Amino acid sequence: MSGGALDGAVRDGTAHGSAPPVAPDRAGRPVLSLRDLVVEFTTPAGVVRAVDGMSYDVLGGETLGVVGETGSGKSVSVLAALGLLRTPNLRRVSGKAMLGDVDLLALPEPDLRRRLGRDVAMIFQDAISALNPVQRVGHQIAEALRVHDRALSADAARTRVVELLDMVGVPHPATRYDQYPHQFSGGMCQRVMIAMAIANRPKVLIADEPTTALDVSVQAQILDLLRVARQETGAGVVLITHDLGVVAETADRVSVTYGGRIVEAGDVTQIFTRPRHPYTAALLGALPRLDTASDRLLPIPGQPPDPSDLPPGCAFAPRCPVSRGRAVCTEVRPEAVPDGSGTAGSACHFPDEAAGLLTARPEGARAEPAGAPDGAGEPGSAREPAAPVLDIREAMVRFPVRSGVLARPSAWVHAVDGVSLRVPAGRTLGLVGESGCGKTTLARLVLRLVEPTGGQILVDGDDVGKAGRSQLRRIRRRAQMVFQDPYASLNPRLTVGDNVAEPLRLQGLPYGQRRRQVADLFTRVGLRPEHADRLPAEFSGGQRQRVAIARALASRPGLLILDEPVSALDVSVQAQVLNLLADLQRESAMAYLFVSHDLAVIRQVADEVAVMYLGRIVESGSVRRVYDDPRHPYTRALLASVPVPDPVGRADRQRVPLGGDVPSPVDPPSGCRFRTRCPIAAAVCAEEEPPLRLVAGGHTACHFAERTAGMEPGGQAGGQGPAEQTAAPGPAEPAAGQGPEVRG
Amino acid sequence: MYGYLVRRLLQFAAVLLLGSIAVWGFTFALPGDPATVLLGPDASEAELEATRERLGLGGSIVEQYVSWIGHAVAGDLGDSYYSGQPVVGELLDRIPATVQLAGFAMALTLLIGVPVGIVVALRPYAVVGRVLQGYLTAGLAVPAFWLGLLLIIVLAVQLRWLPASSDFVPLWQDPGGALTATILPATAIAVHTSSVTARFLATSLGEVMGKDYIRTARAKGVPERDVIRRHALRNASLPTVTIVGLQLGGFLGGTVVIEAVFNYPGLGRLLYTAIGERDYALVQGGVLFVVAAFLLLNLLVDVFYAVLDPRIRLT
Ligand code: SF4
Ligand code: SF4
Repeated sequence: MSGGALDGAVRDGTAHGSAPPVAPDRAGRPVLSLRDLVVEFTTPAGVVRAVDGMSYDVLGGETLGVVGETGSGKSVSVLAALGLLRTPNLRRVSGKAMLGDVDLLALPEPDLRRRLGRDVAMIFQDAISALNPVQRVGHQIAEALRVHDRALSADAARTRVVELLDMVGVPHPATRYDQYPHQFSGGMCQRVMIAMAIANRPKVLIADEPTTALDVSVQAQILDLLRVARQETGAGVVLITHDLGVVAETADRVSVTYGGRIVEAGDVTQIFTRPRHPYTAALLGALPRLDTASDRLLPIPGQPPDPSDLPPGCAFAPRCPVSRGRAVCTEVRPEAVPDGSGTAGSACHFPDEAAGLLTARPEGARAEPAGAPDGAGEPGSAREPAAPVLDIREAMVRFPVRSGVLARPSAWVHAVDGVSLRVPAGRTLGLVGESGCGKTTLARLVLRLVEPTGGQILVDGDDVGKAGRSQLRRIRRRAQMVFQDPYASLNPRLTVGDNVAEPLRLQGLPYGQRRRQVADLFTRVGLRPEHADRLPAEFSGGQRQRVAIARALASRPGLLILDEPVSALDVSVQAQVLNLLADLQRESAMAYLFVSHDLAVIRQVADEVAVMYLGRIVESGSVRRVYDDPRHPYTRALLASVPVPDPVGRADRQRVPLGGDVPSPVDPPSGCRFRTRCPIAAAVCAEEEPPLRLVAGGHTACHFAERTAGMEPGGQAGGQGPAEQTAAPGPAEPAAGQGPEVRG
Repeated sequence: MYGYLVRRLLQFAAVLLLGSIAVWGFTFALPGDPATVLLGPDASEAELEATRERLGLGGSIVEQYVSWIGHAVAGDLGDSYYSGQPVVGELLDRIPATVQLAGFAMALTLLIGVPVGIVVALRPYAVVGRVLQGYLTAGLAVPAFWLGLLLIIVLAVQLRWLPASSDFVPLWQDPGGALTATILPATAIAVHTSSVTARFLATSLGEVMGKDYIRTARAKGVPERDVIRRHALRNASLPTVTIVGLQLGGFLGGTVVIEAVFNYPGLGRLLYTAIGERDYALVQGGVLFVVAAFLLLNLLVDVFYAVLDPRIRLT
């Protein structure tokens, strides 16, 4: 089905007279090249140079990964090149952005617009908000065709759009054409964006964080789709991302951005195995890994550079582990020196010392886990310490869905449906799952920020559900929560010191004592006590998260509920916070309930893991059991979906993404809730709900847990295998890894 | 969509019912009963009794209300205490005049407000944008009656271009005459309301222009004019629709001051006089009409909203 659509697309493309479906021409001229791009903004703090002389080339048919942290200029540079940056405080854009022979920056706006969407197309992050909410999805794609081809009739456009929708794996394309974005899931919206982008078979496809807001299983689908889109259009792809895993999985070449420049460029394998810039090497060291457990991450000290005040020498100098204070680093700005091949290069005075950082790491990291408390000599039966700090028994939360004329609850969302967990002192329980699985609701339940519908939650033996007001206050002092967005949870009008002191003030501590304790807390979380008088807005994201942690610690809790505490942080800073949390736990034996969608982060921090799907725990056990010997098909598929930051051998990795989306929790599937997406579902799965039972030293809720061990992750080839009576849309990745490869 | 509409309709009916009770009940909150008011303090008990009978003031409270609302639904709002004419007739004399003025004022509001709002949103730093922003500030600050007086003095008294006092000339009889008679009061109203509308539109348009889907439209290659027309305006119009509906409701309720300034025979002035004369039957009827019109406009705004925004229509 999809193969036919692809052929149609190809024919159509030639008929249009645009470039024929050429084989990737990697030796050819670049389809897009940025030269010395500079972008400056005027801000109250002065002129901010967000892009500081950035240059890179993309060849037809290849994928260039542009990877860097927030504020490194990776997105701003392309937006500026395409004239899509329109803030009034834009001060200047200079340099060149050559699309073939044309400098986009020199074009008047109407001429530029004629090329946008036709020769160069963009795919944005957060596709739901990137689509017009009041316009039919099909019309939005058709518009991309018709603005560049005025002769195209509405009917012809519609036919073509339906083909495109089919091609990108939107089920029932003819019906979906007339729907609106809010009727699509995030993953489906991203497919629509891709259809829009490839509609005119552009020469360059720019994807700006295309999978960032998506769950891992959907991310894997979209990455596959991008690969197919590239193969079909022959376009050069620029993949902008902060995720090293995504780059390692998809890019041919990589450019690493830092402080508004490219600090290193090279072949993907070289970048990951023999980095020639200390920043690249340090990033790799700071990254939590899915495949290896390391005791401690190696964070990059300090903060990313302030673009309004770039140092005269190397922007990385204040944080560089290689520089060791050598004067040349702070005085002379290193220029990117291309190596022999002409495409690779490193903007460092000492490129040969960078790789050393990488080899140093695994040795030190692997040495310790054996001695760490979460050793392997602790099978499932023995993990029952005396009194858990947190004990959740059969917890249940249901939210009413109101509808109809009188807005009476007509259905119930089963957000949390019979979950039991225990977290002993000094241990971390990691709770993972995709969005909508109920993990955040469960976390909030512990402090009764949502009301339980059933079950029991005990904090230090006190029943949270039955607690009266004063008792609840006492419980909330012992169990503290840290949220994803520290800025939203801090009072922006109080100084950070007062924010931290707030719980102490409520306890009635006198001022002097409060000051002392705040200073103490600041030191513990690695903040300077003399910064206590600043406002939250003056801190960076990572520092704010430290403030939020300090505030949580103020009442000396025995339990921390961490709800995606590092998801908003960059890798280098994330590692600092994760290490801080580990240190704090070692000092005070707090219990952590650590909620995250990021499997690598959970592997890094947790002793025990519980995997949630649609309100239930489908698998739990020690980190080793769940990650190294996963028995539930969902866990296996999740782990297989996570992009591994290691390009070596990526061609051999069988990565068959999980199809479809998570079903609605209003009406979960009968029997096993995972059966609509499970590649090995059988008749019994629809009838009997599998209980969470002891399998291989952990707990797994699958009828076939004993048999999954030797199987391919994700099940049989194609991944198309939902059971009978599947209502969910087909997985619909257009024959990823099959058709195009056979043909190419 | 249907669920939404039915819900809105039921809400409309319920609020209208409550509104009618309030309108009807307010006479009870006044000192003395209508009969005393009507006949004066010297009336005899027998005369009062007879008048109460005539006004339908016998029986229990519930009976009285039911009979009143029953009549009202049948198009009988009783007789004016003062003139003795049926209230409905008195109202029908004035409603066309008010509707016409409201229509003119609204047309002007949109004719001025929408373009000004768009320019202010899109060219905030250009000279035009700044000048128009000045207009918005002035328009909000200047009271309508003062502007009305100014217009009369300049255009009618000194220049003698337009009549100073406006009679009601029905549009369908004499369009030109209707225009000359209504343009001054309509302008006096619209300067203020167009500033409000333009402000609203400018704010929401400015917000929408920063949305991701606008960037998507540009990245598709849509020319800037079409980006604004096809993508931005429809989204930005949503909040503006609400404010325009409220304004129109206000116009229908009668722009008492403006009607007084221009001596315009609208509903506002009728009610104003009726209150002065304690013609409660007339006040009741007039207010009931205003309430009903206001609620109906609200309903229309909701429907319009649903048409514009599929997220409302399709849930
Ligand atoms: S130039 Fe110096 S400071 Fe910069 S990355 Fe290289 S060694 Fe580090
Ligand atoms: S019980 Fe059946 S459907 Fe559920 S995970 Fe196991 S095999 Fe799949």
